[in-house]
Amino acid sequence: MRRLVALFALTALAVPVAASAHATLRVASPAPQSRLAAAPAVIRLSFDQAVSIGRSPIRVFAADGTRLDGAPRLVDEGRAVEVPVTGFKDGAAYTVRWQAVSPDGHTIFGVYTFGLGVEPPPPTEAVGASGPTWSDDLVRLALFVGFALSVGVIGFRLLVLPAAVPIALERRVHLVSTVAAFAAIDAGVAGLVLRGQDALQLSFVDLLYGDLSPLAERTRFGVAWMVTTVGLGALAALLLLAWVLDRPQLRRPAFVLGLLLLTAYPLSGHQATAVGSGLDERFADWAHLTAATLWVGGLVALAAIVWPLAPELRRAAFVRFSRLATACVSVLVAAGTYVAIDRLPDVADAWETPYGRVLLVKVALVSVALAWGAGHRFVVLPRLERGGETGGVVRSLLCESTVVMAVLLLAAILVNTSPPA
Amino acid sequence: MTPRAEIAHWVFASVFLFMGLLLLAEAIVGSEVFRRRSWRAHAWPLLAIAGGVLLWVVTVLSTFSTLHVTAHALWAQAAMIAGGVQLAVVRGKLSDPRWSLVTATAILLSGVSFIVHEQNAWFFARSAFLHHLLGWTLVVATIFPLLHAFRPRRGWQAGLALTFVAMAVMLFADRDVAPIFGHLSPDAARIGQATP
Repeated sequence: MRRLVALFALTALAVPVAASAHATLRVASPAPQSRLAAAPAVIRLSFDQAVSIGRSPIRVFAADGTRLDGAPRLVDEGRAVEVPVTGFKDGAAYTVRWQAVSPDGHTIFGVYTFGLGVEPPPPTEAVGASGPTWSDDLVRLALFVGFALSVGVIGFRLLVLPAAVPIALERRVHLVSTVAAFAAIDAGVAGLVLRGQDALQLSFVDLLYGDLSPLAERTRFGVAWMVTTVGLGALAALLLLAWVLDRPQLRRPAFVLGLLLLTAYPLSGHQATAVGSGLDERFADWAHLTAATLWVGGLVALAAIVWPLAPELRRAAFVRFSRLATACVSVLVAAGTYVAIDRLPDVADAWETPYGRVLLVKVALVSVALAWGAGHRFVVLPRLERGGETGGVVRSLLCESTVVMAVLLLAAILVNTSPPA
Repeated sequence: MTPRAEIAHWVFASVFLFMGLLLLAEAIVGSEVFRRRSWRAHAWPLLAIAGGVLLWVVTVLSTFSTLHVTAHALWAQAAMIAGGVQLAVVRGKLSDPRWSLVTATAILLSGVSFIVHEQNAWFFARSAFLHHLLGWTLVVATIFPLLHAFRPRRGWQAGLALTFVAMAVMLFADRDVAPIFGHLSPDAARIGQATP
């Protein structure tokens, strides 16, 4: 009975009656990212409460930057803004940029696109947006490294290390993987904000009130961000609880969740929207990313966790990781080759397009990493199995990790670059 | 997809209320009595972690402004990290009282985030007033875990507990465009008008 009362009290507190909220855009006509059959006479934005407006609350741009909007007016007791529009042409996409003053005094901003007889581009390709820059590439790298150190390290713990390990090692495994999960979330948030800044074309201060919802809710990138943010939050909680509550069984669902979250990127990148892109290509992308994650995470775990904290486990861990790394590298190369052939239909694309050139540099760096890994497999491993010296191995592992992280940077640049096919 | 602000505020008011009451109960009867049943000791850190996970959901649904996304992301991390460290202390995995500095840092950052997150003056509207008050309450309350880190006393725990209860009251009272003390700022009142 007492439990029932407690449950009722919790439910009553958790589902309160709704009242008023911040001013937010509720309905836009035409709708964001919609494809229209006929040209609209007005653009109308409805907010959840009355707003005030300046001279140009709604600006409508054709692809060449021409303004199509007329004089604005407030309707519906200030809850909606309308502008008449003229000059539409069939078969073209248009950009709507809007701003209004919320009752709490904040000027709120937004941008979206729609198409007349054509599919509109995402807001990241709105008129005025310039596309990803080097800062997007760095943020994407941070995201990949965060995933590698979170999912890869916990994968190493499950697949390479024995069930019982020294307490200090266990603690560092969980510390590294949990912190990396948070770092990946932060990198994702930074990535969304950077994309938003480019789409909205606002200064840093105005960007604070920029509406990121069309980007978050109506693009594959945004939906992937939403899923991975909540998923990584749950992953971090599982890893935290696995260590604190001594529940090692929670590591398995955390690892599986991490592998599932990696599917968000093949499903949201350029490849997902390319003509002719199929499930096989997305699976190959996921396998490529997963293999790289396990390889990088395992290298870092071996060098920075096992080597300094558990000398008695070094040899066994190196031998077992060597097998895992061989499998990872095989998958990495096979999936990478499959995807490259698909995206570069003409051999000349490899040196004639920016995508191809970055891919060539990446292949060169992967070759260096593979040669390094082969050195570990065929020189260091036999020496360790004979009980030889282990001096210098940790430095060599860290160098290999650095090369693989440079490969991840190039992967980040590739993700932000459109392939020629 | 954006949830009404009050729903989010009141859900987290409930979380703060439970955490505050649990901490207050421990401060009144003493840790030895309170922790005779282990779930009691685990309850508030687990609530903080669960609240943190829930805040990630709020984060991805609050994309109507960059400020809301970043502020909620910070609160989510602060809640999960502080809850995790506190749980580790309860479980005996961390024993140094100076781990309380993590809670202090989480509370300080959360308070600063509340203040930065509210760009209007104190008396602009009730939500502005409460956001300032919430922020400064948290900033001042940093003193309790800070003192606990160096001179552990039940009184500091009671102070933190009462802070959480006060936070709950403020969050329950939060409505965005309501007047404060019967007065609504002329700026806030000037809505629904075109300006040159």
